[in-house]
Amino acid sequence: MEGWAAELQSGRPDAAWDLFLDRYRRLIFAAIRHYAQDYDDVMDVFARVCEALRADDLGRLRTYAAQPDHRARFSTWLVTVVRHLTVDWFRHRDGRRRLSVVADALPPLRRRIFEHVFLDQRSHIEAYELIHAREAPALSFKQFLGELRATYNAVADGRRGRVLGELGGTPPAEEQPAESSLGDIADTRALLERALGPLSAEDRVAVELYVVEELPAADVARILGLPNAKAVHNRVYRALAAARARLAQVGIGRGDV
Amino acid sequence: MSHPDPLDLLRLRLDASTRETPECLHDATLAALAEGALDAGARAAVMPHLATCARCRGVVASVARSLADSGLAREVAAVEGRGRRGWVRIGLPAAAAAILLAVALPRWVEDMRGGHRGPPVPGALAPHPVAPVGTVADAAALRWTAVSGANRYRVTLFGAAGRVLYETQLADTAATLPDSVALTPGRPYLWMVEARVGWDRWSASELVRFSIASGVRP
Repeated sequence: MEGWAAELQSGRPDAAWDLFLDRYRRLIFAAIRHYAQDYDDVMDVFARVCEALRADDLGRLRTYAAQPDHRARFSTWLVTVVRHLTVDWFRHRDGRRRLSVVADALPPLRRRIFEHVFLDQRSHIEAYELIHAREAPALSFKQFLGELRATYNAVADGRRGRVLGELGGTPPAEEQPAESSLGDIADTRALLERALGPLSAEDRVAVELYVVEELPAADVARILGLPNAKAVHNRVYRALAAARARLAQVGIGRGDV
Repeated sequence: MSHPDPLDLLRLRLDASTRETPECLHDATLAALAEGALDAGARAAVMPHLATCARCRGVVASVARSLADSGLAREVAAVEGRGRRGWVRIGLPAAAAAILLAVALPRWVEDMRGGHRGPPVPGALAPHPVAPVGTVADAAALRWTAVSGANRYRVTLFGAAGRVLYETQLADTAATLPDSVALTPGRPYLWMVEARVGWDRWSASELVRFSIASGVRP
């Protein structure tokens, strides 16, 4: 048992905190710096992380220590917690105000997309439907996708690009699907479900992590418990081939793209 | 009517909300997934949620990426190295390999990916360890070559088992080891130095080995 955990167990949260911070301060900073590069952002997020970890007499740490089985290393758990706190800080209060500088530099439609997707965590379809219903009834889904990509490109270049990547998730593909396929969202969604819905959960995760999140195959293999990167390649290839075959069964071929 | 390929449809990320729901996985589970530490049964149990939750997939991918960040990997190695007894038993070649994997490999991988940080630092800008290297009579200080434009150096000394024995940051090109770092003659040690050449941009030397000749006082 680590010293801080022993102190915590003995009812000395202040001593536990001192030991914890002495041991993990550099790790916390490194985790924050992975997402935030601006010095002021880093320092403010660090203060927020400390505040959150100290809350309720080190409630989060106490909960972790009380768990009977720790599968991940403590450092990985801590990195995960710091990641959440960092992203949350940017979505709320001071961080949100700082990101408003990014939004202010965008044209009105992209600013609205930024708010819906990056700050309010809405899906792309939700963002489109809200904007379409409230502000831009003439906006087609294809036009929206173009503006969405432009918004991602605009915010990714700045010094807060990485944390914005966390806030908005992986950007939509640069390649534009066939125009006629984007006329009706319900059709597009149904098509996606027809193609990928029958995949097993593990295959779907493999495809999503490798194709959409663009994780290296070795990382995907580790996450899925597969023996190596080649196994990921094989699994993704087979899953996509099956999806294409399902679409072909209803008369939609790759040649239609 | 024409339709896009499934791959194109998937990349549109139509329903990719990143909002947390009550069904979302706990941090400990997300961390274990990213680390590859879940056993087969536990992993199978969370796959259905992961298949349908863009938020949890995003977190797992994010943590997996962060673990490959060279700066973060170094700190993880430092805290885990101090806390894990298993490190004490590995020999020098394995320790050197572990250090390289933990410190250098993620940096190379990040550079190969195009990285999220600035462009890779050219190799010519890396500091070069001067002394101690090989078998030496004295190792009271670590010295390296200066790097143009560097405003800080971070030097790390590893023990034979791969544990971090000493680490410091300074502007000079020499670091005197404190008395608390007791080096044993005849035992191998490893060290490396990194030069800060921009905000959060570090250029690392190779990992070098040295030992103090037996019979010589360190």
